[in-house]
Amino acid sequence: MNDTAVDQMYAIAEQVFSAMIDGDVGPLQPWMGDVPAIVDPIVGWVDAHGGWTGRAALTTSRPVAYDLTRALLRMDAHEEVVMEDLVDAYGELVNVVGGNFKALLPASGTLGLPMVADTLPEVVGAVPMEGLNLAWRGHLIIVSIWMFG
Amino acid sequence: MLRVLIADDSRVMRQIVIRTLRQAGYDWDVREASDGVEALAAVQADEPDLVLSDWNMPNMTGIELLGAMRSEGYGTPFAFVTSEGSAEMREAAEQAGALFLISKPFTAESFRDAIEPVLA
Repeated sequence: MNDTAVDQMYAIAEQVFSAMIDGDVGPLQPWMGDVPAIVDPIVGWVDAHGGWTGRAALTTSRPVAYDLTRALLRMDAHEEVVMEDLVDAYGELVNVVGGNFKALLPASGTLGLPMVADTLPEVVGAVPMEGLNLAWRGHLIIVSIWMFG
Repeated sequence: MLRVLIADDSRVMRQIVIRTLRQAGYDWDVREASDGVEALAAVQADEPDLVLSDWNMPNMTGIELLGAMRSEGYGTPFAFVTSEGSAEMREAAEQAGALFLISKPFTAESFRDAIEPVLA
């Protein structure tokens, strides 16, 4: 991904987090410094087919995904989040990021339904493009874009 | 009170749409459907004043729902709230008879901007 694409991805993430989660752009920043391995990861992804074929994915640690869910649902900091809501909320976050990224592309196509799991399933021939590392409230969230062969 | 049917396979997103409608000042009577099939059944059972539908849903998509409603003679005002707001999709929505398309992420302001001209 070139610098323009990274800037566009950051603009999308900023818009999504501001509108859906935080109400302002402050809590989301570019990640600075080395990128550590994510402990207890959770990944959400959405695939596009039919025109541009590829995948948009968001990876973070499970506790951060719980906090994102609480923020989306305007829940208190220590309120219990059921797994169904975690998968729904995190998947919808990925869906909105992926949908906005796809809208930037000239090729039409169909966006699939969002999926959430512990690890990203491999796709034969998929080519990873440069990702975008974000800090949300200081926690690492990785946005990655893949092109299918 | 205006009666709206919100169709989205994400319960979380339905909650966010309802919350945003309230924030935008629309204290409407709200019903929910989790896909196009459920939404069509809800329309057949008790036609609402407005349908706000996601585009990409399992079982029956939003655009299929709109087509099914129109083919059954329901002229219910219909609009999309979807994660894709490309020019191509807006054109497809308009051609199918949708009033407007609100792309996610949205704000109370973007809801008002889309809905006010329709209510006027």
